[in-house]
Amino acid sequence: MSTWYAMNVVLVQTTLTTLLLALSIQVPLRFGVFSFAGVGAFGIGGYGSAIAMVHLGWSTWPAVAFGAVVAGLVVFLLGLVVQRLTGLYMGMATIAFTLIVSVLAVNGGDLTGGAMGLYGALGEISVLQILLVVLLVVALLHLTELGGMGRRVDAVRDDPELANALGVDVVRYRQFSFLVSGLIGGLAGAITTLLRSTITPAEVNFHLVILALTAIVVGGSRSWVGALIGAVIFVWLPTWIGFLAEWERVAYGVIVAVAAIYLPLGVLGVAKDLWHRFRTREERARVAALAKES
Amino acid sequence: MNRGRMRTNVLAGLAVAAVFTTAACGGNDGGDNGGASGDNGDGGIAETITIAQVQDQTGPVSYAGVGAKEGAELAIEEINEEGFLGDGVTIEMEELDTGGEIERAASEMNKAMADPNVSAIIGPTQSQQAATVAPLVGRGEVPTVFTQAGSEGVVVNDWTFRATPPMESYYEPALDYLEEQGAETVSVLYNATFPTFALLGEDDVPAMAEERGLEVVQSLAVQMTTQDFAGQSQQIARENPDAVVMLLIAPQSVTAMKQLGTAGYEGQVSATSVQAAGNIAAAGDAANGLIYPVPYSTAMEAEGSVAFTEAFEEKFGKDANPYNADGYDAMWWIARAIEASGDSSREGIREGLEQVASEGYSGAMGDVTFEGNDARVPGALVRWEDGAETLVQ
Amino acid sequence: MQDVLNATTLGSIYLLFALGMALVWGTIGILNFAHGATFMFAAFIGHLVTARVELPLLGVIAVAVLVGALISVLTQLLAFQPILKRAKNRHAAELRILIAGIGVAAIPLAIAQRQTRSTPFGLRSSYSPQVYEVFGLRITTTAIIIIVLGLVIGIGMTLWLRRSRHGLALRALGVDAETSAGMGVNRTTLAFGTMAVAGGLAGLAGALLTLQLGAIAPETGDQLIIKAFAIIVLGGLGSMAGTVIGAYVLAGAETLVLVMNWGTWVDAVSFGLIFLILLARPQGLLGRKEVRRT
Repeated sequence: MSTWYAMNVVLVQTTLTTLLLALSIQVPLRFGVFSFAGVGAFGIGGYGSAIAMVHLGWSTWPAVAFGAVVAGLVVFLLGLVVQRLTGLYMGMATIAFTLIVSVLAVNGGDLTGGAMGLYGALGEISVLQILLVVLLVVALLHLTELGGMGRRVDAVRDDPELANALGVDVVRYRQFSFLVSGLIGGLAGAITTLLRSTITPAEVNFHLVILALTAIVVGGSRSWVGALIGAVIFVWLPTWIGFLAEWERVAYGVIVAVAAIYLPLGVLGVAKDLWHRFRTREERARVAALAKES
Repeated sequence: MNRGRMRTNVLAGLAVAAVFTTAACGGNDGGDNGGASGDNGDGGIAETITIAQVQDQTGPVSYAGVGAKEGAELAIEEINEEGFLGDGVTIEMEELDTGGEIERAASEMNKAMADPNVSAIIGPTQSQQAATVAPLVGRGEVPTVFTQAGSEGVVVNDWTFRATPPMESYYEPALDYLEEQGAETVSVLYNATFPTFALLGEDDVPAMAEERGLEVVQSLAVQMTTQDFAGQSQQIARENPDAVVMLLIAPQSVTAMKQLGTAGYEGQVSATSVQAAGNIAAAGDAANGLIYPVPYSTAMEAEGSVAFTEAFEEKFGKDANPYNADGYDAMWWIARAIEASGDSSREGIREGLEQVASEGYSGAMGDVTFEGNDARVPGALVRWEDGAETLVQ
Repeated sequence: MQDVLNATTLGSIYLLFALGMALVWGTIGILNFAHGATFMFAAFIGHLVTARVELPLLGVIAVAVLVGALISVLTQLLAFQPILKRAKNRHAAELRILIAGIGVAAIPLAIAQRQTRSTPFGLRSSYSPQVYEVFGLRITTTAIIIIVLGLVIGIGMTLWLRRSRHGLALRALGVDAETSAGMGVNRTTLAFGTMAVAGGLAGLAGALLTLQLGAIAPETGDQLIIKAFAIIVLGGLGSMAGTVIGAYVLAGAETLVLVMNWGTWVDAVSFGLIFLILLARPQGLLGRKEVRRT
């Protein structure tokens, strides 16, 4: 166990940070907002924490908190500005925001280290600590999936008019989703950066958007469990299909496409389906038996 | 139905938590193991020495990783055949693919470090990957020789070494040549989002030009995503400097060379070693006369270079490129290190690498000297003419 | 003046690339993220063919157009069609189509990267571009071809969609697929036809761009995808005329930044502009009011 763990500790860390990144995109999606600002928040959080550490000499966790809070605030303000946009227009505006963050980092001079990025921001972060942070985030998000709150969120996504009629303040809910997305994305960026000690502008790009989105859609877009499944799949996939060597990337493409085609609700949907069948197998058997008798 | 869902979710969460916490507890002993290594522990050379090559085997920069792999394979063949480390001692190489991604580089490096059989690592070629793993190898205490990875933050501790010189350390001959040719004005066209070129274009080239009395009349920055250079080419043609220093990635260079010609610019263009390995070939005739300094070229005449060029041609049936030379020199450096310290453990190799570095060696890149753990080479200035490199005298 | 000409050339390059994507999105409602890979792979096959036989300009273009159309039709057959068949409604299919496109795109990219090791590749042709100098303006034959074709196809397609019966059928699909199917529009055939045309356009763009730029790399398609997406959204989803205008607006903005020699700010300025335009016009420049696509 311990050799296995020592060899794969980075993958475990990456799974957790990827989960946070995926959640930062998934949260607004669950509120019916097609926003990719979470990836921009990832950049802001990463740079924020690295700047706090390198330039201000802060210690690890205050730096992480600083990055996350700044990212949360910026994305919240962005949310106020773009709240009129819908659908892909919202998607484009938030992608533009993300790319602008990257350009600002390139041109930030000594503060951001320009194209070279910032080096030497090595934090003291253990896997257990990341796990606690992730559990906290997930626990809070889990509350928004339950009971009345869960139904209100579903209504805000699927039928905003109805939600309004029921007295749910749709605009307020969606603004809130920006704040949460920014905070979580910022956390993901800050932790990732301090784990690997560097951040460069090239990382905050469209590919990160694609990674997060793919993880959610393949895993399951309605619940944090789906994001977790997606994060596990895409972080560990290279390990599982590494034997394909140079054909690995082709296989990756095929897997993503097949998942999109055949798993409408993601892997989570399939899992729930199987679970449901498993739980109802006795009942179904009884019904079948009854049907036979009659 | 809602209750059922909630239960599964909580269960899944608990299961995950349990796995990770147990894992985290076991982790502390795992980390310490990293230090002890080598097959038979205290001193001595093991029968089989495993070197991990953790570089891009796939993805957009695979040419550097695959190139280094070929060079290293040739080196291993030579080392094993001539019994360089003693009778029956063989070096084996294990390739781990970083796939062009930082996270994967960190993860694969970690795997290599945690494997007690791995004695040393040839580390990532991309600066950002290398800078990320550099502190890790310091912690894990595994000697790591990087190739390429020319930025700062790579050679940062006792366990990090670099076999490829950073580009700015061998760029001077290009400006010497421009000065000799009587150039007085120069334009700089550079990719400002590519770390190495940003550094060269903003600081080093202007400084080198000033030392030689060359005036930088234009400095045009572009981004990674810039694809069309018609505008920049015409700006340069209008300014008509005596020479252009072009610091662009491979596809950009092809387009810029073609469009500079179209725009009517006829001065001397000086590029970078990115153009080596046939990367400029697609520009056809437009690239004729282009000069660029390289750490290695098939045209080089130093003894070590010639031997490498011939051996490579024989083994692979094609011309060697600088990436091949990287891998070859890196692997030989490690072999020399083991021989020097007489110890194939991780600590032994580290000491050996330092010792070899203090003496320098003659390799594919000619006579290699060192600044600390960082290689410096004489380099060569080559000219691209009809699909082949010739030395500029 | 020269700068205006350059901006026009650049805009026409973007336009040629974006047209196919815009056509498919505006009519059959598919946002094809494999368009960039189709473009690249068509040029790549052209490269492989011309490395063996030297072809005239039209020959090169014919090869690329055919390959592009073929890939596009295969994508539709193997990925998009099954998704649309299984999805309950278009909204549910939208995200999955996006992800399927991303998955499909990874396959040709991986193959081309493996074959070329990401070195740039060009096209060999008996055609060699001439440089003309008129009133002090320099322009190559390739640039003229690109500008003329971009404008002719762009405007032609706009008019065709507006005036012809097929165009009407296609636009009807874009507005309400079920009703139009009920009124005798054969959705499947039209979808395949549209995808083939779009793929052909991707191939055309691939051949012409490779000739104009001298060479492209396997990753070039990825970089253009995000710009094309920006152009289509900027113009207004579903509006071909908007796409034409969007392409020139983006190219104009980028050229302006270059003329001012703020090279590293290009993305910030162009995407900042898109951001601002979207704030002022949430449906893009010429977009129709969204029926409901949140």
